Amino acid sequence: MGTVSVSLQFGELKKKESPLHKRTILLLRFVLILSTILLMTYSDRGLNFASPGYAVALAYFLSNLALYFVPEIKFSRPILTFAIFLTDVFAISMAIYLTQGLQTDFYLIYFLIIFIASVGQDIRGSIPIAIVASIFYAWLLHRTSPGLSIMDSAILIKVPFLFIVSLISSYWSTAIRREVREKSKFEAIARNLEDEIARITDKESELRHYSETVINSVTSGVIVVKEDGVVTTINPEAARVLGTKQETITGKDINSIPGLEALWQRMQQSIHSGEPLERLQISITNSHNEDTPIGLSVSPINSPNTNFSGCVGILRDLSDIKELEDKLRHAERLSYLGKMATWVAHEIRNPLTAIDGFSQLLPHTRDMSKIETFSKEIARGTQRINHIIEDILTFARAKTRVNASNIDLRQLMTQITENIGGVRIFINGEASATIKGEEESLKSLFTNIINNSIDAMDKDPKIVIEFRKTRQWLVIELRDNGKGISPENMQKLFTPFFTTKSRGTGLGLAIAKKIVDDHKGKLEIKSEEGEGTICRVYLPLENGQGCTAP
Amino acid sequence: MKKRILVCDDEEPIRLLLTESLQDTYDIAEASNGREALRSATKEKFDLIIMDIKMPQVHGLEAIERIRERNDSIPIIICSAYRPMEDDIVVKTSNIASFITKPIDIKTLRAKIFELIGE
Repeated sequence: MGTVSVSLQFGELKKKESPLHKRTILLLRFVLILSTILLMTYSDRGLNFASPGYAVALAYFLSNLALYFVPEIKFSRPILTFAIFLTDVFAISMAIYLTQGLQTDFYLIYFLIIFIASVGQDIRGSIPIAIVASIFYAWLLHRTSPGLSIMDSAILIKVPFLFIVSLISSYWSTAIRREVREKSKFEAIARNLEDEIARITDKESELRHYSETVINSVTSGVIVVKEDGVVTTINPEAARVLGTKQETITGKDINSIPGLEALWQRMQQSIHSGEPLERLQISITNSHNEDTPIGLSVSPINSPNTNFSGCVGILRDLSDIKELEDKLRHAERLSYLGKMATWVAHEIRNPLTAIDGFSQLLPHTRDMSKIETFSKEIARGTQRINHIIEDILTFARAKTRVNASNIDLRQLMTQITENIGGVRIFINGEASATIKGEEESLKSLFTNIINNSIDAMDKDPKIVIEFRKTRQWLVIELRDNGKGISPENMQKLFTPFFTTKSRGTGLGLAIAKKIVDDHKGKLEIKSEEGEGTICRVYLPLENGQGCTAP
Repeated sequence: MKKRILVCDDEEPIRLLLTESLQDTYDIAEASNGREALRSATKEKFDLIIMDIKMPQVHGLEAIERIRERNDSIPIIICSAYRPMEDDIVVKTSNIASFITKPIDIKTLRAKIFELIGE
């Protein structure tokens, strides 16, 4: 808001003072003229009507009227006002002279002149006028009553009174004038204050309008809530997301609006912790009773300057995105299902062909050894079908049952690799590599990875297997010199039923990933096309944590 | 002299089944993948080829194309676990070869072979 600065403009003060000054003097002179006429009319020794006194009075009246047209600024010059008062003193002295001096009441008018002079020019005006009046009066008395002593009571009383009136009235007028000046000063301050307030109010409303425009233009929802839950600002988009109107919710307690509990809970969390919350996904129930998923970021506001404590929330309607995601997921699921059905059909039809075919041959076969061979083939086909079903179930089950036991992975690896021909396999690193896990799963995990490597290699196939230990993990690194994985295939690596092999099920790595996850491990695959692939399996070393309980 | 048939399938039981089903009438040679099939087809003369589609190394379709480059008259029967409508690729092949699906009815297979090359 800033400090209100008031500058006093004294020029303006004087200008404002002078019309009052002029008007007062002229008004008082009318009183003076009127009093003189009254005295002329009713005094014992008054002038009679034929006297030119009235003509003088009329001239006086007109001249006073004329003074109204003298510019105000001239009245602030002492010379003009002094000349006016001198003329007045002179005129009254003439009247006193004409009305026989001592006995006349015209001398009372001196008091009025002195009074007016004090109004006009303080003591600087009234004292000289009092002196001049005293001199005139004394001289007049001397002229009209030559025998009059200076110690005569008429002089002794009347002359000092002129000075007393001069002093009192100038004191009074100074006091009044000071008061007037003070008042004007305060009025000026008040006026300046008013101006300043108006300016600040304008500025403030301009700022408010500006920030409102900015907030309202934001395409995300913006909502500002005080510590106590009162909504202070909300933009149209936030109002739309919440299914309400700006004017309905502004000033309301967010607690009093049903469906926004989750929003308020996160806001409180941010206010109390003083930490911003970013990219949350929450669900609210809007005023139309629809569940709306929203993306939310909350920043706490704690400004000692504005004495505001609360938070600002940025809302984003995720309904459309959610719907799209759901559709995509559904489509993906359907696509998986389609791929899975095709795969299952193909995989099962092969052993089924054997079972069916040998069953057709059996009735026409007499040779016992052939009967035995065909029967074995039928059994093998059945087992194969069963194995396929197991594979699907392993993949589809939420969690593999892990029958944890201590497994020496080096030994297991030797077992897996000893029957592989045509590929050079090196096993290096840690001699002891025992973890807790499930043997069958781990065997199929490494078999899957090694089979992938074998399928990817053409010339001089070589697999280097290295065992390493970190504080937390047993790391098994399998490196091949195969054709590598292209970047676009890299993304689909763990996608079920995705395969680049003609004989692949597309489940190998998906199952491998699952087995690693079930053992609370990590599976990392790095590959460069044409260079080969590095596959790292991280299995936890700590006892008992290596696997899920059966 | 018996007519010669090349059976190409990566599944050993299927090769065994086909051989056992046909060897009384025909002379059967086996190949376990497309590459082997190509090699045999180049070296020897066959009257008919029975070929699986989905095989490692050289895919069945590729093998058929390569064989057709040398010999466009040899009858080929595609024997696949896919249904002709299940896979676009399979549909494309239907005009270059006959098609039978797994599981196989042995009588139907024999009838088809007889229709193509006789005994």
